[in-house]
Amino acid sequence: MTGATTEATERFFATLPARAPAVLRGPVRGTLQLRITTGNHSEHWRVEMAPGSARVTRETGPADAYWFGSADLFDQLVTGRAHGISSMLRNESTFTGDVVLFLAFRRFFPTRPGTRDPRAVAREQTGRPA
Amino acid sequence: MREQVSILDGNTFLVSDRRGDIEPSQDFPTGLFSFDTRFLSTWVLTVDGERLHPLSTDDAFSYRTRFFLVPGAPTHYLDAKVSVIRSRSIGGSFAEELTVLNHSGRQVEFVVRVAMGADFADLFEIKQARRKKGLATATPGENELRFTYRREGFHRETVVGSSATATVDPAGMTFRVCVDPHGEWTTRLDVATVIYGARGEDVRANLPLGAEPRSVAEIQAEHEEIVARAPKLGCDCEPLAGAYLRSLNDLAALRYESIALGVRLMAAGLPWFMTLFGRDSIFTSLQMLPFLPDLVPPTITMLAGLQGFRIDDFRDEEPGKILHELRYGETAGFEEQPHSPYYGSADSTPLFVILLDEYERWTGDTALVRQLEVPARGALEWIDAYGDLLGTGYVWYRTRNPETGLANQCWKDSWDAISYSDGRLPGFPRATCETQGYAYDAKLRGARLARTVWNDPAYAERLEREAAELKERFNRDFWLPDREYYALALDPDGQPVDALSSNIGHLLWSGIVDADKAGPVAAHLLGPRLFSGWGVRTLADDQGRYNPIGYHVGTVWPFDNAIIAWGLWRYGFREEAGRICEGILSASRHFGGRLPEAFAGYERDLTDYPVEYPTACSPQAWSAGTPLLLLRVMLGLEPQGEHLIIDPAVPAGMGRVELLDIPGRWGLVDALGRSRTASDPVRR
Repeated sequence: MTGATTEATERFFATLPARAPAVLRGPVRGTLQLRITTGNHSEHWRVEMAPGSARVTRETGPADAYWFGSADLFDQLVTGRAHGISSMLRNESTFTGDVVLFLAFRRFFPTRPGTRDPRAVAREQTGRPA
Repeated sequence: MREQVSILDGNTFLVSDRRGDIEPSQDFPTGLFSFDTRFLSTWVLTVDGERLHPLSTDDAFSYRTRFFLVPGAPTHYLDAKVSVIRSRSIGGSFAEELTVLNHSGRQVEFVVRVAMGADFADLFEIKQARRKKGLATATPGENELRFTYRREGFHRETVVGSSATATVDPAGMTFRVCVDPHGEWTTRLDVATVIYGARGEDVRANLPLGAEPRSVAEIQAEHEEIVARAPKLGCDCEPLAGAYLRSLNDLAALRYESIALGVRLMAAGLPWFMTLFGRDSIFTSLQMLPFLPDLVPPTITMLAGLQGFRIDDFRDEEPGKILHELRYGETAGFEEQPHSPYYGSADSTPLFVILLDEYERWTGDTALVRQLEVPARGALEWIDAYGDLLGTGYVWYRTRNPETGLANQCWKDSWDAISYSDGRLPGFPRATCETQGYAYDAKLRGARLARTVWNDPAYAERLEREAAELKERFNRDFWLPDREYYALALDPDGQPVDALSSNIGHLLWSGIVDADKAGPVAAHLLGPRLFSGWGVRTLADDQGRYNPIGYHVGTVWPFDNAIIAWGLWRYGFREEAGRICEGILSASRHFGGRLPEAFAGYERDLTDYPVEYPTACSPQAWSAGTPLLLLRVMLGLEPQGEHLIIDPAVPAGMGRVELLDIPGRWGLVDALGRSRTASDPVRR
């Protein structure tokens, strides 16, 4: 890792405003500040969430909640290869502030690559039409 | 009666033997636990190298215990020259005051030692006897012994401090003391548990509800406040009065502060289930609603916040699904176990909608129902989407995590709980009957919320139509006409799994039972095959897998019986409901008012007292909630609009039952019931 934010992470943040209407459907409101680090280098992302909308900037400042973790971990989170709460429980990431914001934010994380719809699998295995 | 003595505050708890000692156990959770980690696994007291023997134990409070001890074997303690009092309390951390009393007329020197150790086992490592992957160290300091555990960023510490001067080594503390004639010596041992966050501070320091461990006085004040806030019970029946008070105290003690979430949630049961369970917390909330409605919203809100949002095979997660179990320990963090959270439960999702509706019916809190419209609709969608795994109009389950997931994802979740009458086990997926009942009820309750709060009558009509179709389908596919009861489940071929089980009682509660079938169902529930005299057995005594001490295949579960009594009441079987109330409350007397998770299914006539299930959890939240729900059933408490309907049917022999200041949208209301026979003897 060179210190730059990964391509997947850049792409992830770029899509948030467009995805927000489908993902942030409840009455969530507040600002989440993320500090994503590689070695001594930190990148800052700031997400202002409201019902149906997410505004993403590279600013820093007071927020309702803060998330800290490595660029490597964040890359895994935004590609569905890591789990947000597990990484917190093993202390690979840290969160402070209004937990509801993180619970809302993690809904942007995708499904693990290669995951199939359990209904299709079950109907296939019991010989029923999908 | 119990070999173990437990104290608890939220999800911090300590389990020791009757002397107050903790010895490392590979298969039972003895020790000091907090957030699913064992912070003390050894805590053994000796005086002059001798173990002590208990004279008596005072464990009247859930957060405090006193042990009165003497050295040596029971044969020669009558002329003891020395005795020891261990007085311990728990409140976020653990403290023990150790007092050595010299009863002789001369000065005596003693060598007092407390052997100490911390293995930092995760609760699941104890269940499965696994070895630790990280590094543990013990560092002696000045009157302090520090145990540290590290695995990558995961960092836990236990710090034991002594108020008296101690000689500290990595395995404990030794005190060489000289006690005057008829004098005493005391030290206070404080045990702090530390959960480090990424920046080297205790993560609990950032919790909104405050970082400092609560003092015993604060815990006591909170318990007293909760009991004072609950309706007052006046009654002639002492078992009922005792169970009610015990239940309120245990429910207060089982509330814990979620490490990540900063709200007070309800833990399910000591010692295995000191964490948030979807199903358990929902049933407990349903039981508590008429008594302590304001303890319920944090649970509903958190279940909504942690609702599933994507497909995750390891965690059996799907969009809209309500969680099964949330854990905080090492195995959840390193994904050796799926509880972060785990979603392997087919019924918690419809139950979530049922609780939200029942909550509004009691409290009139439409703001919460509006706030949770999206998760509630998500839950209702899950029933017909991912819940209907096979596309047949029923909720099915089959784990996608065969290694650490749950095979059975209904309340009877042990491996052999779902069987045919002859004892064979069906394949997967399975659709258990009570889950279909919950789905039916959830649709009708969702329809009520859609119509009255969400302003969506079209959605309400759709849900009601779907509910009616489900009821018709269910009464066709699950009913066994020749045996006059509902099958326990459908197997993967859609054929009935024909065991006679207590699950049919939950169907009455849900209202999915056709009117002409309710009579035969009630007759089975109170018949000799299912009813033991104390309560309804999980499985009828003539079924292939019946075992009176089998976890879900023959024992009597108080919570199960409370739901069944509610169901019988709903269909007008008041006398039958009263027999269950009487049986369970009589049983509670044998457990000091504290109903365990389960007790044996033996005939009441055979044993005269209920035999405790060997490893039953106690206190257990939904068992503690049981006397509350039974009270509701006996008094016939049912919200209707802005009023509370009171329609008592108190079982014969129970005398007067009076509940004052029942809170709800009507303000405070009193209910009074009395059993019909005038000459009832007062029960002792």
